[in-house]
Amino acid sequence: MKAVFIAFDQAYYEQILTILNYAHIKGFTRWDEVQGRGSKTGEPHFGTHAWPSLNSSILTVIDDVKVKPLLNDLKALDATSDLMGLRAFVWNVEDGI
Amino acid sequence: MSLYESAVKKPVMTTLVFVGVVILGLFSLNKLPIDLLPNIETNTIMVLTTYDGASAADIETNVTRPLENSLNTVANLKNIKSVSRENRSMITLEFNYGDDIESLTNDVRDKLNMVKSFLPEGVQEPIIFKFSTDMIPVIMLSATAKESLPALYKILDNKVANPLARIDGVGSVSITGAPKREIQIFIDPLKLEAYHLTIESIAQNIRMENVNTPAGTVDIGSDSYSIRVNGEFKDASELNKIIVGSTGGKTIFLSDVSIVNDAVEERMQESYTNGKQGATIVVQKQSGSNTVQIAEKVLNELSAIKKSLPSDVKLDVIIDTSDSIKETISGLTETVLYAFLFVILVVLAFLGRWRATVIIILTIPISLISAFIYLGGTGGSLNIISLSALSVAIGMVVDDAIVVLENITTHIERGSRPNSAAVHGTNEVAVSVIASTLTLIAVFFPLTLITGMAGVMFVQLGWMVTIIMTVSTVCALTLTPMLSSQLLRLNPKRSKIFEKIYLPIERSLDNLDNSYAKFVNWAVRNRKKVVIFATIFFILSMLPIGFIGTEFIPAQDNGRVAATIEMPVGTRMEITKKTAEDLKQLWQKKYPEIDMINYSVGQAASSNVWGSLQNNASNIISLNLRMLPLGDRNRSMFEICDSIRADLDNMPEVSKSNIIAGGGMSMMGGQSTLDVDVFGYDFEQTDKIANELSKRIAKIPGLVNVKVSRGEYTPEYQVEFDREKLAINGLNISTASNYLRNRINGLTASLYREDGEEYSIRVVYAPEYRQSIENIENILIYNQQGQAVRLKDLGRVVEKFTPPTIERKNRQRLITVASTVSGTTIDKAVSEINAQIGEMSIPSDIYLEVGGTYKDQQESFSDLSILLLIIILLVFIVMASQFESLSYPFIIMFSVPFGISGVVLALAITGSTLNMMSFVGLIMLVGIVVKNGIVMVDYINLNRERGLGIIHAVVTGGKSRLRPVLMTTLTTILGMLPMALSNSQGSEMWKSMAITVIGGLTVSTVLTLVIVPTIYAIFAGNGVKRTRRKMRKDSLKV
Repeated sequence: MKAVFIAFDQAYYEQILTILNYAHIKGFTRWDEVQGRGSKTGEPHFGTHAWPSLNSSILTVIDDVKVKPLLNDLKALDATSDLMGLRAFVWNVEDGI
Repeated sequence: MSLYESAVKKPVMTTLVFVGVVILGLFSLNKLPIDLLPNIETNTIMVLTTYDGASAADIETNVTRPLENSLNTVANLKNIKSVSRENRSMITLEFNYGDDIESLTNDVRDKLNMVKSFLPEGVQEPIIFKFSTDMIPVIMLSATAKESLPALYKILDNKVANPLARIDGVGSVSITGAPKREIQIFIDPLKLEAYHLTIESIAQNIRMENVNTPAGTVDIGSDSYSIRVNGEFKDASELNKIIVGSTGGKTIFLSDVSIVNDAVEERMQESYTNGKQGATIVVQKQSGSNTVQIAEKVLNELSAIKKSLPSDVKLDVIIDTSDSIKETISGLTETVLYAFLFVILVVLAFLGRWRATVIIILTIPISLISAFIYLGGTGGSLNIISLSALSVAIGMVVDDAIVVLENITTHIERGSRPNSAAVHGTNEVAVSVIASTLTLIAVFFPLTLITGMAGVMFVQLGWMVTIIMTVSTVCALTLTPMLSSQLLRLNPKRSKIFEKIYLPIERSLDNLDNSYAKFVNWAVRNRKKVVIFATIFFILSMLPIGFIGTEFIPAQDNGRVAATIEMPVGTRMEITKKTAEDLKQLWQKKYPEIDMINYSVGQAASSNVWGSLQNNASNIISLNLRMLPLGDRNRSMFEICDSIRADLDNMPEVSKSNIIAGGGMSMMGGQSTLDVDVFGYDFEQTDKIANELSKRIAKIPGLVNVKVSRGEYTPEYQVEFDREKLAINGLNISTASNYLRNRINGLTASLYREDGEEYSIRVVYAPEYRQSIENIENILIYNQQGQAVRLKDLGRVVEKFTPPTIERKNRQRLITVASTVSGTTIDKAVSEINAQIGEMSIPSDIYLEVGGTYKDQQESFSDLSILLLIIILLVFIVMASQFESLSYPFIIMFSVPFGISGVVLALAITGSTLNMMSFVGLIMLVGIVVKNGIVMVDYINLNRERGLGIIHAVVTGGKSRLRPVLMTTLTTILGMLPMALSNSQGSEMWKSMAITVIGGLTVSTVLTLVIVPTIYAIFAGNGVKRTRRKMRKDSLKV
């Protein structure tokens, strides 16, 4: 079991939902408005006057086999636009109920 | 879910809500009446009281004063004016705009009932009219007839005037120039004397003979019969057989002492249309009713009426005021449509995409049409003001949608899907869109709070624009994102033809962006030079201010001229008629622009309301001229009027003339009038002052039609009875004067009935016996003992001159020296007049007051000036709260003075005046010009927040905001351009407003683009220095 944390420009939400559905990933947790800034490039997403855009984030816990295809799909989506911003990070899940 | 999110997610609901609004709006539009202006007329009630035979002075003391004293207590009264002239007293009560005229009328009626018993005998019941004298007739009809001419009055009265008067909103229908039938009994006083008869006894006899009496019922057999005596005359000739007395055992018939004449009234007014005699029917409307609706109803009714008239009676419309209103409104509608077209072109040129243009343009009809719902709901009308509001708003409603669409496009270009781009793009700009709308509402909403004359004009404008702007913002936040999500595509393909046309535009816009960026770069590095240059420009631009005159409401060329021409007092009607005929010939030849000439000559009958309101006498010609439509003639109405005035000045037989361009529409766009009221009781003193003043005013260039309201003194014979002699003979003044009156004026003995109509039977001395002073002196007066005394034994007849009219205002006598402003402006004229007044020596009990249009203008201008200050303050408040800063709004406010320079320059160059409309344009300008500043400063701030240096932030901010600023400015300017250029009827009204806005906006935008970045740089630079200094100090402390 792996946890995938996806942080993305709000406007990507529907596309990401489609990707998750396509990968038969049912469960996830989403934060609608989160703020963040990329380490290298990309506009900050602060929801302020200067940087009005905002991020959303999704945390989903999936089987190990599903991780790679999901990351590939997300990477493909990220490649469509330089300015929007989309990142995903994976780590191990110890246990759950 | 936010508003825009649900709008994007529910396209069907969003679409249908707006479809519903549009349907409701179109439904209201369909029902909206058309009018020239919003209901602008003063609420006036007029009380007309007739007392036949009384002179002006008698009327004043016996009728006008008691009525005035009682009417003065009516609630909400603003002014009470009266004119007492021979035979009638006319009191005009002026109320505030918007008072309920119905309840006031009831109030007036109650007061009249209270005072009625104090009026002298013989005073007829006061009549209340719900309109004022300065209201022009709605429709004037001419009636011509051949065989039916003698009966024309009755025919017109029954079949035309009565049905028309029943139409809702019609104030009065008057017939001028139709002969009125009357049975006259012309008495020979010598025979009367010989038979010891009096007029009173003859009248009594006639009255006794001319009766029908029901005598009761009798039962005969099984039936009941009523018994009647039908004594009424069946034919006028029966009067001859009446026995009026007996002498020496012989009966005296009426025919023995008199001639019975079945004829028409002795003194009558004759009326001619294009040289043909006939009757003129004048329809006037009540205060506050709609001209176009009434005209329509009247014309509808007329087509039915025409069928019922005898075949030789022809009715024609001479003047239909609704025509010019309709023309004005259609002219203005045209400009609104042109504005719509221009705005579409501007949007397309800047965006270069069809779909985006369609999305933005859709906001225009939706928000404009929604304003019709407001108009329909509040009983408003389509008029100059409400249509101007549409024209003003048309360029501004797209602004919000443009901002929203632009941001959505940016999001799409960044890679968002249209759906989410619409939601998030709107979300980002929603607050600033609402704030910029608020600045505009801060300008237009206060307009709804003004009172008085200016209020009546501009409340509608304020509400309309406020509503339109609000709806456009709602539209921009819901419909625009929804449509964007459905229609916008990333980099849509352009067709080749479009590419070909659009590429040069795109390239020049890019070039403009770059050169502007260079210029701003130079400006922020040379701040001092820019500030000095701007200051010099501002000072220079203020120089022409002295050349701009002020005016109340611009005069409109509606092609109608009313004129009153007076010959010397006492001129016989035949001679007056001849002069009128000559004038008609002359003018028709000299001014081919004149389409119709209608004139009437002579004394109006007392039953003729319209006639009795005008000056009328045998020496007065009242003319109505109608000119060809504005497009078909070269000379303006005002030029022709000036030329007509010159014609009349060259005619020695004309003693006085008054030419009113615009047909006496004194309040609504006629030429401005300037009245100086001279208050004072003493006739002689006030006359002297007024005449001197009028001479001085006549010398002032640009003031024409100078006239003193008190007419020329009419020669009059006064009978001065000696009370002692009267007492000796057992008489008193009232009996004696009644005898006199019955002989000269006549006594209505009874009514002759024929075919259901009633005609008066008037017993009077035959005309040849009332032509000299001897005739009057020889009148026999009988006392109660039956003894006859000649009038000359009871008193004497002296010749005197009395003023024909006595005018009063607020219960004080006054003379008005009126003049028309033609060729100069009101403010200049007033200062000239004041200078002249200063040179005159005026007794202490007389005081002068400048009134007329000037007073209205001053009141309105001071209202509007205060409003301007309030609006500037409100706009500042809105901006300060948006930026959460006091210095940014201050920077932005720098565009306002340059707006004013633009206004001054535009008015001076086009030769327009500062009037109510341009003043309102100036007020609107405050809101419109600061919008540009807001857009720029907002974006420069954003750049700084993103970490750019001041100069870099200013230059890139300026560059990226240039197009939106130019686009919104151009839509507003081009939206107004058709108004400024239009030449249709009535364009004088809205032209100056459009010129003001265009001039102010152009100059201020050009300068704002340079000044605001420069001043921003100065302020921001100072701010940075201050912070650094503070930091240095703090670090030193540590």
